[in-house]
Amino acid sequence: MRYRSALTTLFALCLGTTPAWAADADKDTLERGQYLVRAADCAACHTRKDGTPYAGGRPIETPFGTVYGTNITPDKEFGIGDYSADAFYHALTEGELPDGTQLYPAMPYTAYHTIPREDSDAMYAYLMSLKPVNIQAPETELSWPFSMRWTLNFWNVMFAGKDARDSDGQSDTWKRGQYLVDVLGHCGECHTPRNSLGAVNRDKHLQGAVIGGYEAPNLNAKPLAERGWTPQALRTFLREGMSEQGSMFSEMYPVFHHSTRHLHDEDLKAMSVYLMGDTPPEATVVKANDTQQTDSAGRRHYLNVCAGCHGADGEGIPHVAVAMKGNTTLRLDSARNLVKVIHDGIGAQSFNGFERMQAMPGFADQLSDAEMAELVNYLRQTWGGQARSIDAATVKDLTTTAH
Amino acid sequence: MTPEEPNTMTISTRPLKVTINGQAQPVEDIPEELMMLDYLHEYRNLTGTRFGCGQGMCRACTVIVDNPDGSSEEVRTCITGAHFFDGKTIRTVEGHAQRDDAGEVKALSTVQQQFLEHFSFQCSYCAPGFVNAATVLVERLQREPVPRSQLEDTISEALESHICRCTGYVRYFEAVRDAVLKTPGTTTGRS
Repeated sequence: MRYRSALTTLFALCLGTTPAWAADADKDTLERGQYLVRAADCAACHTRKDGTPYAGGRPIETPFGTVYGTNITPDKEFGIGDYSADAFYHALTEGELPDGTQLYPAMPYTAYHTIPREDSDAMYAYLMSLKPVNIQAPETELSWPFSMRWTLNFWNVMFAGKDARDSDGQSDTWKRGQYLVDVLGHCGECHTPRNSLGAVNRDKHLQGAVIGGYEAPNLNAKPLAERGWTPQALRTFLREGMSEQGSMFSEMYPVFHHSTRHLHDEDLKAMSVYLMGDTPPEATVVKANDTQQTDSAGRRHYLNVCAGCHGADGEGIPHVAVAMKGNTTLRLDSARNLVKVIHDGIGAQSFNGFERMQAMPGFADQLSDAEMAELVNYLRQTWGGQARSIDAATVKDLTTTAH
Repeated sequence: MTPEEPNTMTISTRPLKVTINGQAQPVEDIPEELMMLDYLHEYRNLTGTRFGCGQGMCRACTVIVDNPDGSSEEVRTCITGAHFFDGKTIRTVEGHAQRDDAGEVKALSTVQQQFLEHFSFQCSYCAPGFVNAATVLVERLQREPVPRSQLEDTISEALESHICRCTGYVRYFEAVRDAVLKTPGTTTGRS
């Protein structure tokens, strides 16, 4: 009998780790909350480097200093364990904590501003159902004047506004896509240029920006189509992390893992409809270019160090290396991403199921700036429909300047 | 196509000049798309360099490029075009042992000898890559010795990308450590 009561106590103790909120929330709410938290890609900043989900501590480099993602597990000491659903909603959509502390806008509360209360409550219920992690995230310490959080009140007033973009749509699908792209997905945090005070420039909504040395490309409909994108291809890209246009790399790769691969197909469709409009522009196809046949220095570099994996005709190898033919990165106006990838390489990447791409070595030590420029011109001209516009100085600038 | 008809499909070629295992090779016109591994096999009959994954992952196809400054480096020949090596000096697995005039092996290199003594080679498929990688490491340590206490980490770092499907890593590791320690001037401090 005594043994049995001890077991009961133990069982109760185990149950005791589940917060009251989670017990109240039904299974559907928790599932919906998890889905919304994924769609909002909270993990991107709130996951620890060791992989502990939502325990915070990931550094986010900004021009003003390093901001650390906070612990958003229900830990009462270091997490959000003491938050009410009200307080959570207020922090999520207004960027203000219960004690009046202003969050830095590295937390995309300007994007989350229109998250409906019911979605916030579901996200709250899900986060509160997680195991509390008793770890303190590092304190954000920005230099003066940015260390004065109260100044953010002015920042908030100055930069509230409405987004302007080129893809029109009125359908419910389009509107759902707008919510997923602009609000939950906060795509504009990377893909929209910022002004000198770090605010997203809403007049240039999703027109592309440089982040961490890489370009987050323009996601307006016409530029997407001009780089070979169709709504269907975008859906595939978001769901699989890769498509005929290439594979995700740099900052977009974790977005795929934490967020887009979990989204329902109808939501991916909505995102693609929003990005490209109810009536999407026709994707342009790069005309075959005869530079491939010429004995150019760029072609020689390509055959020497690229063709082994990407194919002599740019066809790529499935599950190994993406094709150059049809690759959207070669079609960007700026050669930045292409140069950076060739210079730095890309680590091995895993995608859905057994799909993976092998590691691509960086060629910083093997190709001079001039040789890299020749190679980049060859690639962009042959498969990107671009002019020969890159010289050694451009390569040097892109690979040595901190952007 | 009748024998009289010219073959309209042309393969672009370029002359390739390369020195392999101390021998300047005859300059020949080589298809510009040919990978180095195929050149070694088909044009030079040097079949010791292995085709493994064909993706640059397993490193069985690794050869050594000797730089003019006296340093050397590993290059994967299954994913690197033959013309990348134009004007370069390389060593393949065939080039390590000392041979007599008849081409018979007289003495093995220290690395090869240690691999034999440790029974490192099992199926042998990865052997050319490991021999070349270990040789590059030993020679680097002769130029730039490391403290004895860092040797194990240095070996792991230098060889970790080489894959042995027989999983004989411990034997490889111990053999390379002995090869380094038997080569004067490779480590500093107490051994």
